[in-house]
Amino acid sequence: MNWAKQLQNIDRRIIYTILMIGLIVPLIWPIGIPLSTQEVTRSIYNIIEDLDPATDVVLLSFDYSPASAPDLHPSSVALVEHLTARGIRWVAVSFWPEGPQMSEMIMRDLEARGLTYGEDFIDLGFMAGGENAIMSFAQDSRVIKTDVRGNNIDTLTLMDGIVDMNDFAFVIGLSAGDPGYNAFIRQAVDPMGVKFAAAVVTVSVPAAMPFVSSGQMKGLLGGLRGAAEYEQLTGIIGQGAAMMDAQSIGHLIIVAFIIVGNVAYFFSKKN
Amino acid sequence: MKLVPGNIFGFWTMLFVSICILLIVKLAKDGKFVVKLRRIAGLEAIEEAIGRATEMGKPVHFSPGIADVTGDTAPQTFAALEVLGYVTGLSAKYNAELIVSIRIPNVFPLAQEVVRQGYMAAGKTDLFKEDTVRFLSSEQFAYIAGVLGIFARQRVAANLMIGAFWAESLLMAEGGAQVGAIQVAGTANMHQIPFFVAACDYTLIGEEIYAGGAYLSQDKVRLGSIASQDYIKLALMAVIFVGAVMMTAGNDWLRVLLVK
Amino acid sequence: MRREIPLFITFLVGVIFLFGPITTGDVPLVGMQFREIVSVYLSPWTTIISAFAIGLASVNLLRLHGNYVARKRPGWINSAALVFSMLFFTVARTIRELRPADPDIVAFYSRIFDNIAAPLSGAMFAILAFYIASASYRAFRARSLEASVLLVAAIVVMLGAAPVGAIIWDYFPSLQRWLLAVPNTAGQRAIIIGAAIGGFATSLRILFGLERGYLGGE
Repeated sequence: MNWAKQLQNIDRRIIYTILMIGLIVPLIWPIGIPLSTQEVTRSIYNIIEDLDPATDVVLLSFDYSPASAPDLHPSSVALVEHLTARGIRWVAVSFWPEGPQMSEMIMRDLEARGLTYGEDFIDLGFMAGGENAIMSFAQDSRVIKTDVRGNNIDTLTLMDGIVDMNDFAFVIGLSAGDPGYNAFIRQAVDPMGVKFAAAVVTVSVPAAMPFVSSGQMKGLLGGLRGAAEYEQLTGIIGQGAAMMDAQSIGHLIIVAFIIVGNVAYFFSKKN
Repeated sequence: MKLVPGNIFGFWTMLFVSICILLIVKLAKDGKFVVKLRRIAGLEAIEEAIGRATEMGKPVHFSPGIADVTGDTAPQTFAALEVLGYVTGLSAKYNAELIVSIRIPNVFPLAQEVVRQGYMAAGKTDLFKEDTVRFLSSEQFAYIAGVLGIFARQRVAANLMIGAFWAESLLMAEGGAQVGAIQVAGTANMHQIPFFVAACDYTLIGEEIYAGGAYLSQDKVRLGSIASQDYIKLALMAVIFVGAVMMTAGNDWLRVLLVK
Repeated sequence: MRREIPLFITFLVGVIFLFGPITTGDVPLVGMQFREIVSVYLSPWTTIISAFAIGLASVNLLRLHGNYVARKRPGWINSAALVFSMLFFTVARTIRELRPADPDIVAFYSRIFDNIAAPLSGAMFAILAFYIASASYRAFRARSLEASVLLVAAIVVMLGAAPVGAIIWDYFPSLQRWLLAVPNTAGQRAIIIGAAIGGFATSLRILFGLERGYLGGE
């Protein structure tokens, strides 16, 4: 059957065009598909809700590059917005060279809104060495002597009382690969008992799940969906929620093509 | 000097396991322990892929992954370099053009040396060209853009991807599929295995890439090492089983021991 | 000695790195902790070696593509673009590193990074979405029992992850969560353990000089 053969070999440009239209249209005309919240997302939210703004400092590790920013940056923004809304101070660090660029984008926006670098947040910048660097930083969080703006960390009140990673009330790894959440678990969580959670790119969610099940990670934000769920919890809607409609349509299109291909396959087998 | 609490049991286990591995390797090397590996289709297909490329007069592309020779993914890079040595030998034998693309600068001189030595051993030094081993970029997606450019311009007939891969794995695999290349891929990064399974003809899963060097060379030392891994796994399975039963019965003695 | 010296250095450095995180207290006769030896002596070396490796690779890249441009080989315009952008970003970043407090230079570098490098990387990452569509369409055919299981699992996970799945069928999200939490976790753990043991055995072979394939030849 000719049609069955043709449907099994649809030109990929047709697939790409349909997918592109399917992704763009909901971005322009949002549908507003309702979204449920998973327990792994809610766990992170609850931990931050229980933090004390007077005494607790959170560590955010920006371990992703611009390539994975579309998938992961909305989670970073959602977390920072929650911390900001609760008045909780945070420290940024990065074990990827491009990480400081990502944190700088967020900090520029916060400073434009009136928050103060040095009081509400600081950025310790990039520390070379991969997993060795994470180990060093976990054991001695004052190993980086100056922040990205050239300030000596001993002059920054945000770093008062911070000696090692356990002195942070909560550590969140924003991980797109290696070094990432795996290295934090090996170097900080298991040996030191650091309270840790991660936001990861969607493709890493299956690999990260075992660590949530075992309790080594207290929660997990998985890609855009995780960001959208978190935005829903905080009520501060951002890019995550805006893109979920596009993701839904995209997934439907891929599933439709798979079904079409299989139906055609079965028909051609029958004949 | 003493061990940090939390590492004591791990240290003694590591020592015991290391001694077991070295013992089994010694027994295999002396011929007292004969190791037979099961058939690994992906590794067998490498020669088929290179032969196909030769028939078509098109190049073979090899990527040893995008990881460095330091860190926890370093063993994958070393395993890839072992396979690269074998691939170089076959390329020399069949006079196939070989292109090795490199992302990490540290790996570049190692890959160059492996390929150069491989051609020398085969007596075909003239096949080693300046651009046989190419450093493309340290940036992950710039590297894959370079690889896709190679695929598009040179229409590779065989694409071999062994090593540590991340998000670019599907780009490379699908890019190879689009030019009609026969593809063999292998990684121990489990989050990329599904992509390789979907887009490649043969996939080596997890530790099969570590078996690559042993399987292809049939070297007794490497074979002994692979066999020792299996025995360690058996022992671990027993520990997991016993631990699960004990925990279910409310006894956490083994769990406490493991975190000592 | 050409092989023995590198192998000895490999063993010595490997042992120091191995003992660094798991021991405290001074090493006898050395008077330093293993982790201090790592941070004071060895880590700088890895940085230096990496820097030299980048230099070597960059020189190779420039030489190769410079040659393509000089000989006007087919596609030389791409090589010219590569050489230009490589030099441009190198110079820009060098100036940024030398003058970190100059707001104009910082702003200029941020502008070129945010508007050139970042979108290019993002675009390549975005191609994944299209490639997964074509790869799924091509590969997910129910040719066998295992392929059918893969196909069904893929559809359940895709629809469970997207909000629209819950609208199509209430149970997609919970099935997706079960698939990820139970069979996926079991499989991932098994592969993690196997790969970790494989990595350990490979590292041991390298440490003891039993594995020399990376040195070239036998």
